[in-house]
Amino acid sequence: MGHYSDPPLLVLASLAGGPKHGHAMIEDIAGICGTRLGPGTLYGAIARLELQGWIEPLPAEDRRQPYRITTEGLRVLRAKLATMQQFIKAGVKRLEPL
Amino acid sequence: MNSLWARLLTRMYPRDWRDRYGAEYEALLEDSPGDLRTAANAAYSGLREHILPSRGGSMNQLNRSFADIVKKPSAFLPLGMSGSALIVLGVAAMSGGLIPHHDEGAAAHTWQLLMAGQLPVLAFFAIKWLPRAPRQSLAALALQLGAALAAMSPVFLLRL
Repeated sequence: MGHYSDPPLLVLASLAGGPKHGHAMIEDIAGICGTRLGPGTLYGAIARLELQGWIEPLPAEDRRQPYRITTEGLRVLRAKLATMQQFIKAGVKRLEPL
Repeated sequence: MNSLWARLLTRMYPRDWRDRYGAEYEALLEDSPGDLRTAANAAYSGLREHILPSRGGSMNQLNRSFADIVKKPSAFLPLGMSGSALIVLGVAAMSGGLIPHHDEGAAAHTWQLLMAGQLPVLAFFAIKWLPRAPRQSLAALALQLGAALAAMSPVFLLRL
């Protein structure tokens, strides 16, 4: 318990704030939720998300490769966050009488 | 992290993966802290990519046919070992050595080594190729199983 860790969701959430390359994503995610993704974990998530068409690469800047979220990726992120919001609301409601 | 470490850790990934992400991943590693945690994460992810590819296998996995899979050493070695085990039995039978005996003899020991020795190769094949090309790998595993059963059947049928 502590830091939230669902690497693909964290990457989508980070890219929802604008295109980023790997190192910027790691720093942004650490700022959002305190989870510092390892480079291997980050690229595992990037590869899966790219395969699903939820993120896409932009023209490379030197050796750094920026990515952006696609329209489909935004739809998936919204759906996942809505589910989480319902879950959080229900969980908090159950905790209120305790 | 220094560039030599970054290159070594990137080299732990499969070639197909490196062709797509290698340069940018190496640049990311160079920007990352060179601590043990980062290196362990990169090494683990690289090895994991060989077993459970994040892109569901090689980048051109859709073109992989059954013939391509059977040509992999871990696919044809067990077939060869089962075939050799069967030949060992045949040679022993022709030389009159297939009589059940308390002392099993060289032919029996060779047969046992060939059959037992293919188990780790089969396990490696299943772990490596089932996630990447499930249908073709299952067909190859069925072929390997058939060959193993063919090599074992004389032993059980003749109660050797």
